[in-house]
Amino acid sequence: MEDFSNPTCLYRLTSQKADVDLAARIGEQLRLAEEPAEDRLLTLYDTFDWAIHDDGGWLEEDWGGDGCLLRWSALDGAETPLIQALREPPGFASDLPEGPVRERVLGAGGIRRLLPMVRLRRHAHLLRVLDDEDKTVVRLVLEQDAFEDPATGRSGPLGTLVRVLPVRGYDAELRDCLDLLDTLPELEPGPAPGARFLDALAAIGRRPGDYSSRLDYSLDPHQRADSVTKTILRGLLATLERNIDGARENLDSEFLHDLRVAVRRTRSALSQIKGVFREPVVDEYKERFAWLQQVTGPVRDLDVYLLDFPGYQESLPAPLRPSLEPMREHVLAHYDEDQARLAEVLGSEALRSLLRDWRAFLDAPDPERTAAPNALLPVKTVADARILRMTKRVIKEGRAITPESPATDLHELRKSCKKLRYLMEFFQSLYPKEEIRTRIRLMKTLLDNLGGFQDLAVQAVHLREIADAMHREGRAGTDELLAIGSLIGNLLERQQGLRNAFARVFDQFMADEHQSAFRTLFGGDPRPAAER
Amino acid sequence: MKVVGVYNIKGGVGKTATAVNLAYLAAESGLRTLLWDLDPQAASSFYFRIKPKVKGGVERLLGGKHGLGPAIKGTDFAGLDLLPADFSARNLDLLLQERKGRTKWFARLLKRQHETYDLVILDCPPSISRASENVFRAADLLLVPMIPTTLSARTLEQLLDFLGKDARYRRLRVAPFFSMVDRRRRLHLDHQQRLREQLPGFLQSEIPYSSKVESMGIHRLPVPVYAEESPVSAAYRALWADVSALLNAPLAA
Repeated sequence: MEDFSNPTCLYRLTSQKADVDLAARIGEQLRLAEEPAEDRLLTLYDTFDWAIHDDGGWLEEDWGGDGCLLRWSALDGAETPLIQALREPPGFASDLPEGPVRERVLGAGGIRRLLPMVRLRRHAHLLRVLDDEDKTVVRLVLEQDAFEDPATGRSGPLGTLVRVLPVRGYDAELRDCLDLLDTLPELEPGPAPGARFLDALAAIGRRPGDYSSRLDYSLDPHQRADSVTKTILRGLLATLERNIDGARENLDSEFLHDLRVAVRRTRSALSQIKGVFREPVVDEYKERFAWLQQVTGPVRDLDVYLLDFPGYQESLPAPLRPSLEPMREHVLAHYDEDQARLAEVLGSEALRSLLRDWRAFLDAPDPERTAAPNALLPVKTVADARILRMTKRVIKEGRAITPESPATDLHELRKSCKKLRYLMEFFQSLYPKEEIRTRIRLMKTLLDNLGGFQDLAVQAVHLREIADAMHREGRAGTDELLAIGSLIGNLLERQQGLRNAFARVFDQFMADEHQSAFRTLFGGDPRPAAER
Repeated sequence: MKVVGVYNIKGGVGKTATAVNLAYLAAESGLRTLLWDLDPQAASSFYFRIKPKVKGGVERLLGGKHGLGPAIKGTDFAGLDLLPADFSARNLDLLLQERKGRTKWFARLLKRQHETYDLVILDCPPSISRASENVFRAADLLLVPMIPTTLSARTLEQLLDFLGKDARYRRLRVAPFFSMVDRRRRLHLDHQQRLREQLPGFLQSEIPYSSKVESMGIHRLPVPVYAEESPVSAAYRALWADVSALLNAPLAA
């Protein structure tokens, strides 16, 4: 049994000499037994957005002559690695067989699929260091690794490592062995455990965390506004493009979601960062991206049902739950058709030409003269003015909401809040970090209330439509209709709860500390003159 | 964690060969296994090429702060560790005699290993002593190898008699099995049949007499490692299957 109080040590071969030489060199000093070489295939798995890595671990599939294992190890090596047997390649964490690894990654993996990020083809040669009874006292593994890109199959060598594995109860022999390895000029102290995956990722041009849907720009406040807006839009375009393949293959629901968020942000930037591009350009792309938003909608709606379904079921009393199942089947029955249509759009010339034209526009040199009135202003000036104006609008619309206001007024307020939030997110690097983040969180709280209110209303209407369609298709009897009815009742009740909470959430937004922060951040008082 | 004692009052019945081969097969099946060589003759340690030496002797093993951990050695096989014998174990009874709670000492020491191991196999010295009483209290299962002869039968009866008198051993299961069986000898077969009828609880599997077992001393390896194809390897596998089934079966009320 490996003794984990003795951490594994690694050495790197300084030259590309064959490992036989090394065995001979070590064999001059220590009694060695050589075992036949063994080939293993190690595949690093993570979600597209590196959730397992962000949670502090490597997840690897280890395939060799003795079968297939799934191993989770801490990035910092501080925890004992977890291992479980595996019969088929990982998919969703929730689909893994029961075991310690599944338990560890279930939370982080969530609703995202585990994807192969990089592979290591390992040719491993085991040397056993023996004592005078021919007992193994230390194991040395010479590992010749090659990286392989799972997407393209491209591969190449990564050099040789010597891994020293202690045997329990032979500490003195381990020290002797390490002392010897330290003196060999062919070896140098090797990388930290886990660094092999970093090397392999680097070799295929990747690194952990190289995808995130979060907006993360560092903008120069003095730079001209049109140029900065293009930088923001280029970032959104990159996010959009990186999600196309995953959404097309429907690897998981979040590819399409992230793609749609990037489209929505693009449209918001086009319409909200006013006067930086010529109007015909803005109009054209607003329309073309609206098309993309619209054609990607149906599958997202179905995804939301499927993701919410367990929650729907739980919200019903146990005897009603089975009667909800036909609704899920109804959604699934339409899913393939809608997904096929989506895949067609995502592979279409229409989309390719949209993205091509858009990139050409974003990459074109900034014009020296332009009809756009704000194009040449420093971006900070434009950002301040836009955010202030939108804050004023949110205050005005929010103030007008009374318990009797129609739902459409809340919907309008939500749209304004969303625009404000996007503006603050686009330009956050222009403002003091903590200050702007607090205000973005404030907007999120407000949006959670308004968004929840709106989404529950929409869901209630859609469920009604689904019930209608199921009834027409003969899929819904009395029990099924009653279950859906009960669900709609729950949703409307929750909606009323959010409505009742609105006044409190909005008062929080209007609190003096936040309003004065808005003043300092954006250089003006958003409140009506009479109240200042 | 389950504890199996391999025990017989009589010597030379194949105890060590059983302990070594079962420990190997248990580890091979995926159980984290510890083999504790309690016999000062140190045959288990020898078969695994581990020097029969415990720093501080059995005295430190029994009384030290750190328990058994520091004395445990990794074998050459994945998942299998060994606690080697030490010549000082010849004084084990004396040491146990001096201590309070003298029959629960092993049980207490092993309890501290329950996170580390799924199975502990005790290779016990022959004779009935304070150390054996410790084994009886620590073990879930007492595996008794027996050569089918009259004398063997007598020692088994002695053992069952001893265990039956003491309520503290009520939860201990005793599983005798035939060892070193020579199927060419009429007498062995007759004894076997008679003993199975007289004493219930004999395991179905049995270990034949085999020169392959004798050559363990030359190879210094468990039999399945160097003679996987031999009938005696198959016999040990069948024995391990029986033992494993017993360990997984719920205790009778």
